[in-house]
Amino acid sequence: MNRVLIKGGILYTMVKDQEIFEGDILVEDGKIKETGKNIQAEDAQVIDALGLCVLPGLIDAHSHIGLFDFNHDKSVDEANEMTEPVSAAMDARYGMNPKARELKVAYEHGITSMLFTPGSGDVFCGQAFAAKTYGDNIFDMTIKAPAAVKIALGGNPKNTFGDLKRLPMTRMGVAHVLWDTFRKAKAYLDKKENGENPPYDAHMEAIIPALKREIPCKIHCTQYDMLTAIEVAKAYNVRFSLEHAWGASDYLDEIAESGCDICYGPIGTYRSPGERRKVDVEAVKMLDDRGVNVALITDSPILSEESLYHHMGEAVREGTDYERVLRMVTVNPAVQLGLEERIGSLEPGKDADIILVKGRLGLDTDAGVMLTMIDGEVVYRKSRNS
Amino acid sequence: MMYLIKNGTVHIGDGRVLPECDILTEGSRIKDVGRMLHAPGAEVIDASGCEVFPGFIDPVSGIGAMGIPSRYLDNNEYSEPVTPEMNLKYSIDPDEMNAQEFYKSGITAVGLAPTNSNLMGGQIAVCKTAPQKMGQRMVREHAGLKCSVTSAVKKSNEKTNGYPMTKMGIFHLFKETLREARCEEEEKRSERQRVITDVFDSQSMQVFCAASSKTEIDGLLHLMKDEKAVINLVDAFCFADSLEQIKEQKAGIVLGNVNEMSQIAKNGMDLGKLKELLENGNRVAFTNSNGGYSEGREVFLWSAIEAYRAGVAAEDVVKMMSLYPAEMLGIADRLGTIEAGKDADISVFTGHPVTTYAARVKYSMVNGEVIV
Repeated sequence: MNRVLIKGGILYTMVKDQEIFEGDILVEDGKIKETGKNIQAEDAQVIDALGLCVLPGLIDAHSHIGLFDFNHDKSVDEANEMTEPVSAAMDARYGMNPKARELKVAYEHGITSMLFTPGSGDVFCGQAFAAKTYGDNIFDMTIKAPAAVKIALGGNPKNTFGDLKRLPMTRMGVAHVLWDTFRKAKAYLDKKENGENPPYDAHMEAIIPALKREIPCKIHCTQYDMLTAIEVAKAYNVRFSLEHAWGASDYLDEIAESGCDICYGPIGTYRSPGERRKVDVEAVKMLDDRGVNVALITDSPILSEESLYHHMGEAVREGTDYERVLRMVTVNPAVQLGLEERIGSLEPGKDADIILVKGRLGLDTDAGVMLTMIDGEVVYRKSRNS
Repeated sequence: MMYLIKNGTVHIGDGRVLPECDILTEGSRIKDVGRMLHAPGAEVIDASGCEVFPGFIDPVSGIGAMGIPSRYLDNNEYSEPVTPEMNLKYSIDPDEMNAQEFYKSGITAVGLAPTNSNLMGGQIAVCKTAPQKMGQRMVREHAGLKCSVTSAVKKSNEKTNGYPMTKMGIFHLFKETLREARCEEEEKRSERQRVITDVFDSQSMQVFCAASSKTEIDGLLHLMKDEKAVINLVDAFCFADSLEQIKEQKAGIVLGNVNEMSQIAKNGMDLGKLKELLENGNRVAFTNSNGGYSEGREVFLWSAIEAYRAGVAAEDVVKMMSLYPAEMLGIADRLGTIEAGKDADISVFTGHPVTTYAARVKYSMVNGEVIV
């Protein structure tokens, strides 16, 4: 039995209604055994957390790290099969490089889990998966696969197929593909359930878990396309999140009423007519106030992983309560992905993904991670004097 | 019109910080800076508990000169690789600039610059970011010569039979372009050649050259070793790998968008090395752009924060956002610090934007006009 006692830290457990308190965490065999004050565990190895904030490992719920590689003169794209508008069966794990240098940046910055997603060059881009950021083999690092059906609206699929003069080369064309594919998938599922044995279709099979509400659809959309996404998702009663969601402040009522989740980001893009017209990080507070589950995302490596702090910071700058912002990179994305039993908060039974932080990440600009633990293993430790 | 910005913590921009300090503006200029200023008739702006900064400057911005959504970007004249005579003033798109709401990040002026597609792309024009009459916004044209020795230059080789198609070709072209301009008799020089000799022989403006990898930075510094023109490396993501040479030649750095496309992971960047450059007297500034293309206003503060996180003192970072870019662009007589006689471009933040994210612009003043 391997026991570690993290002693005397300031605990931000992210457990609902639990106040911040000074206390200890006992870790046993990679899981959190206990949180509380003055935990006694004589056989345990002790990690001194005095004066440090102790948080659950951060989660970035929308990343392409290991799928996009910018380390060469010409960038490598393993995230987009996009030979057809519907590539729903593509499994992102097979394109993922677990040795991507960005993963080290991620866990050194306290990001311990991520949702790695294909896309967004076609309409049904493939299957996203959730994984830890430390390890040798992506299949071992994976927590859940598939974790979501990735869908994209707007300029990306439109440009892919516009260049080929094929459907969909317009936004209405994209909406058509979206409706049509869900209709086919529903008919396919109905046939299966009626025992009619339709010819096997891998793409339709990949959409079934979404139709059964077992996993969410992650729908890349901004501005008005958010209404399109909501309309179609409601018609097929799927769980879904709007990804990127620029311009959400214009659609607060529709978003709140639909019951969907929001993955907001990346911020920091220039504003121009169309999809980039409004990049309104102030929307995260408005949505959070209305009870919408909001996560902050970097879209890494488009924006780099360390910019997650800046994303938190911009939400703080726009008036979002600091502790609410912390939820947007921990428990909120965990709930969105149906992984709240394992990650996102410091509670007995959960994975021991724990970070020790000097200062307040996303508020104090010089706050920094001193130690990162994933599944009970210390994967990063910064010297306390530096 | 006179304004009295009262009782703020005033960051002059040159490293000095004056607590409980007032600033008096008259018309478009700063009239006085000091404690307990009296100015009957001036409208009072209460800056108690606030941090007051000179307007920040991005010296090489594409935003405001791209002309999106036109088919061809207005700052990308890559019909041939050498076009130093292009004047970015003629590509200004004020609406594009207004849409960015630059003032929310404290940025009140940008140097409009060409992309990296040309070896010599054109001359930077400095423009205020606030939505005012165009006539009031231009600070200086011919403020810098934008060059590039990155692979992007290969894009401009269509008319030249594919040349340059390598780094060797790019540097060869650079050398030959300088030599040919200088060999031509003065009265026979073309406009293009005149710009080149003005810049490289008479130092009419500084050079801003995109150079990111170690190959590009070392090559450029080697080529410029005996040149008198002041060289600023733009993007410069691998600056720390060529530190001694940069120090020796006193080259400036305009650090590109740090948090984009894995620069830190890819280059193992150690931004802490900026401290050594500052101690050595090199100028350092930030730009929202990376590879010749700009991102949104937020990025500017993020790069500043990354430098601070890496150990650069907060007030040194402030210099990198205001005084140094003003000096690089030759506009320090008007912008870059809060001093009597300078343009009244001032941001009142609720906190120090380098040390805390909880810092919002409460008031923004450009040319002595209150924007918010």
